[in-house]
Amino acid sequence: MSTVSATNVTYGDVVRLLFQEAACLDRRDLDGWLAMLADDVVYRMPLRITKDPRTGSDIVEGMTFFEETKVSLRTRVERLKTTSAWAEMPPTRTRHFISNILVDDGPEPDTLAVTSSFLVLRSRRDSEAVEQVFGERQDVWRKSDEGWKLVRRTIYPDQTTLTVLNLSMFI
Amino acid sequence: MAHGTLPVSQEVMESVRDKIRRGLLPQWAFSDPGIYQAELEKIFYKTWQFLGHTSEIPKSGDFVTRWMVHDPVLLLRDTNGEIQAYLNSCSHRGAPVCIEDCGNRKTFTCPYHGWTYDSKGELIGIVAGNKVYGQEMDRSQWALRKIPRIASYHGMIFGCMDPDAPSLEEFLGDLKWYLDILLARTDGGMEVRGVPHRWIIPTNWKISSDNFGGDPYHTAMTHRSAVELGIAPQDPLFASYGHQVVLDHGHGVNMITAAPGLKMPPYQGLPESLWPMFERNLTAEQRAVFKNLVVSVGTCFPNLSWVSPMHGTGGPGSPLTTFVNFRVWRPLAADKIEVWSWVMVDKDAPEEFKQESYLSYIGSFGPAGTLEQDDCEIWTRVVEHSRGYMAQNKDISYNNVLNYLMGLDRVQPVTDWPGPGVAYPTCYLDAISRSFYERWAEMLLA
Repeated sequence: MSTVSATNVTYGDVVRLLFQEAACLDRRDLDGWLAMLADDVVYRMPLRITKDPRTGSDIVEGMTFFEETKVSLRTRVERLKTTSAWAEMPPTRTRHFISNILVDDGPEPDTLAVTSSFLVLRSRRDSEAVEQVFGERQDVWRKSDEGWKLVRRTIYPDQTTLTVLNLSMFI
Repeated sequence: MAHGTLPVSQEVMESVRDKIRRGLLPQWAFSDPGIYQAELEKIFYKTWQFLGHTSEIPKSGDFVTRWMVHDPVLLLRDTNGEIQAYLNSCSHRGAPVCIEDCGNRKTFTCPYHGWTYDSKGELIGIVAGNKVYGQEMDRSQWALRKIPRIASYHGMIFGCMDPDAPSLEEFLGDLKWYLDILLARTDGGMEVRGVPHRWIIPTNWKISSDNFGGDPYHTAMTHRSAVELGIAPQDPLFASYGHQVVLDHGHGVNMITAAPGLKMPPYQGLPESLWPMFERNLTAEQRAVFKNLVVSVGTCFPNLSWVSPMHGTGGPGSPLTTFVNFRVWRPLAADKIEVWSWVMVDKDAPEEFKQESYLSYIGSFGPAGTLEQDDCEIWTRVVEHSRGYMAQNKDISYNNVLNYLMGLDRVQPVTDWPGPGVAYPTCYLDAISRSFYERWAEMLLA
């Protein structure tokens, strides 16, 4: 298995990292998930639009579903831990399918640029509906004394109109 | 499909109207497919529908594609700088002439057979035109079909399907006084940031419209997580202070203030650099109300709502920032809506404030908003639990009516309110809801 030059990490190491993160989210270990994020994490989810590709990107960076820092993500997690965050009380069941993982050297020393596809399926209560949201994540992970930390994640949904009734989960 | 025909007799519908005046609403209003079909014809095709904001199409050739319920709309600024709205469906065989969400174009060519239209809607190009249709076909007869009515108010562009409907200004009526506080307070007016959020909620449009229009009462419980977190006040009456104002044509607004004795920054904490503009653009009466405002939340009947709260995203003690958020609850079926949600900010505001205002919106509203998340979930539960025999029973008995009794005969209007409408001294009140559903019933009866 090849290694990424700057960090001496194997592809398998990175896959395991992303799967561990997904497991935190699906098992609702949200504190464990927060612990995988760097204190200076930038966590964003811009909007996708349909447009003529000759006129530029179909991503609207200036409008997002998530525009988060560690502090605001922690607030979101703390809210979900109250007794009355009804979107997740009782909790929904999610499954994060992470695939098509590409690993490259990151923009700074000791960082990795990791691109992955995501498919998040969600079941709410006894509803027969299977909600889904899918797209691509572009991450930067940084090596630290406490292991790899997510420094930057940009989530690009493939849908312009989301069919999940809310984004009470993380991607 | 029996468009416009009520699934109940005139007599039953009249009793529904009378019941809602007395604070009772049959639960089948939320889920009956026949009611939905009647609503399309009798309400949505008769009222002004919000299409977009002028700041979304600032230059000639700018366009956005929108929906008026099930009608596709191409909204654009033509070569003269005039705003136009066309049915986004080719006059030849009905394909859309544009499937992009937004952009800038001089012409629109249908990909089916190549008919081309300019920004005036004129048919200017037909593939092999003269060879196949000859000179005898009058192209002017085959222009893009115009949306029958289009008008704007302080940058808010509306369309209407009914050529005989009252003017937009007449339709908005006294609501304009309250919209001005949101839209016309600064010299440069408002601008939309980015593009609207769009997402699907399996609920009925009236539930969301009425929630924003008349239901500050839900905040104490639906958004209790904010109280538990220490972001919202412990006082269960915290969203009740201020005035609920019932307006004509089914519109309504809650002008929520802080609890007595709680000090909040004036003008929702808007930057002081804007305050002199409020002097110029608003009346003394509007400023008197605006100065103490914490939240403006309401609905323009039938399905345009707004919320302009003060919200912090950084947890307890973080600064509160206001924003202006308009949303259309586009009905897709009796039990399905598509939300279109725009966030706007004063053009004249400092860039730093614009960014804070946007972050405040993202944190609280929109599909990932900590407040919106719980609303969407509960509205969905209501509809899922309104489909059964007992809820659908059309005998208007106490077995299948819901409770809109709050404040009925108990809370009297104030006499010293500086604005138009009938103002009540609390926002925990079903007066707007009763008025909203009375208007709904009257339009279905018309």
